[in-house]
Amino acid sequence: MEWDRKLAQWRSEGLIDQEAVERIQAFETRQPKKRKLPLLLIIGLIFFALAVFSFIAANWQAIPPIAKVGMVVLLMWIFYVLAHFSEKKHFGHPIIFRILGYTMFGASLVVAGQAFHLGTSSSIVPWALFIAALAHFFTWRHTAFTIISFISGISILSAAAPGVGFIEWGLFIAVTLAWFFLSKDGPAMIFSWLLLLGSGFLVWSIWDIDSPLVPIWTLFALVPLMLIVPKDKQKLLAPLYLITGGIQLVTFLAIRGESDMRFVELNMIESVILAVVGAGIFVLAFFRFRSLMWLGVLGFVGFMLYDETAIALAIVAELTALAYLIIAQRQDKPLAMGFVYFIVVQFVIYVIYAWERLDMSLFFLIGAILLFVLSGIAWWLNRKKEGAVS
Amino acid sequence: MKKWLMPALQTVFVGLLVVSFYATSWFGEQYVLRAEPYDPFDPFYGEYVMLQYPDLDAPAGIRDGTIYFTLTEADDGYAVIDRIEERPFFGAINGYKYDRRVVAPQLENFYVEQGRGPELEAAVDLEVTIDVAPWGSIRPVSIAPREE
Repeated sequence: MEWDRKLAQWRSEGLIDQEAVERIQAFETRQPKKRKLPLLLIIGLIFFALAVFSFIAANWQAIPPIAKVGMVVLLMWIFYVLAHFSEKKHFGHPIIFRILGYTMFGASLVVAGQAFHLGTSSSIVPWALFIAALAHFFTWRHTAFTIISFISGISILSAAAPGVGFIEWGLFIAVTLAWFFLSKDGPAMIFSWLLLLGSGFLVWSIWDIDSPLVPIWTLFALVPLMLIVPKDKQKLLAPLYLITGGIQLVTFLAIRGESDMRFVELNMIESVILAVVGAGIFVLAFFRFRSLMWLGVLGFVGFMLYDETAIALAIVAELTALAYLIIAQRQDKPLAMGFVYFIVVQFVIYVIYAWERLDMSLFFLIGAILLFVLSGIAWWLNRKKEGAVS
Repeated sequence: MKKWLMPALQTVFVGLLVVSFYATSWFGEQYVLRAEPYDPFDPFYGEYVMLQYPDLDAPAGIRDGTIYFTLTEADDGYAVIDRIEERPFFGAINGYKYDRRVVAPQLENFYVEQGRGPELEAAVDLEVTIDVAPWGSIRPVSIAPREE
């Protein structure tokens, strides 16, 4: 053994005495020996597994449906058993085996769906995967299952979108809300919040309405959640509201500026109600969580969409960007989010109003200068904030 | 013990799903439907034939959207619509109507062996055998070219 040879070398050089050599030998022989699989055995196992899988694949059509499903379920159990021993005997990562077990559950549903001709429009498979992912999350509390739950939730939303019913929609919101409140974990709250936001978009499909204001209504509907969550979670969630609000305002600006919006129905009564609710949210935010006061601006989008030139939206986007930056700078708050929003607003306005009026080369030249100036402003603001002295 | 709960529940769920398909055949009635294919490929599920049913015609007065219907065997041996309503009733198949055509989600596609899709598409005149449970669920059983 390597350490045996080294010990003899150190002993002959007089670096350690015989007593130390014996103590080290006694210690090392007591250590549990690492069992390594011989290389040939590993290669043999890989080839055997490949042979088994190719045999199954070649005869897949001839295998009875129940046996197909049974094989995948067996594979699922193998991974959960491996996860158990991985935890007990400290090899590999139990979470990886559990994720593989969960994946095999999904595979068994897909195989069952294929073998028994389950319609692709059925939402049974996405629902089963969503509930199973959430159950995995609550059992093992691992972020990997937060992400898997989010992805499976998105798959329900996309599978349900064409013909979702009111009950299924309500059920999805109830399950996601339960995840939001019971998780008590930052990433899980963020991802469940995003699913709640996504579920609002299904309103278009459920009631078959053409209102362009659904995203804003959804965001407003999520504001009361802030009243229920604890203070530390309010801090975590507030940027999500602002980022979503910013994205919505810029998207409305881009769509209004670049299209005639013939595909939607603008409704003055809805715009008035939205403005009233927006004002209510502004007042609520003023008393409870001031950082969200910006959302009140979205209440006026309904009116601003009537302006075909999109100048009103452009001015509001520009003013909110500037005001946010100035206030954040004065209050010594992080500027990154505000600055990204500011840059995006500049470029959307630039594309809307300059694209058709400029020669292509001039367009890019001015764009580059704009980016250069904005970067300079960012550098200057950052420098000022850090209190650098030139 | 909680670490075995998830695989156990998942196994029960897959088992129930499979049993529900078999139960449709155990307790249901078998019908043969005239069908016509068009042939897409789903990268997730594999190859299947999209089907439409020329005999499943909605009578006048039924609006487009969700409908509920039952089947009966016509004199030529192929299934036709027996009763169709806009409101649910016991034993009805849940489907939808668009421009006189009636279809149910589980009748829309039929998974076939790899490479068999184009062959069925070329045959054009097909027949699909399905089992319909007394509670309205469907289990497609087989698909074959139609010989009339």
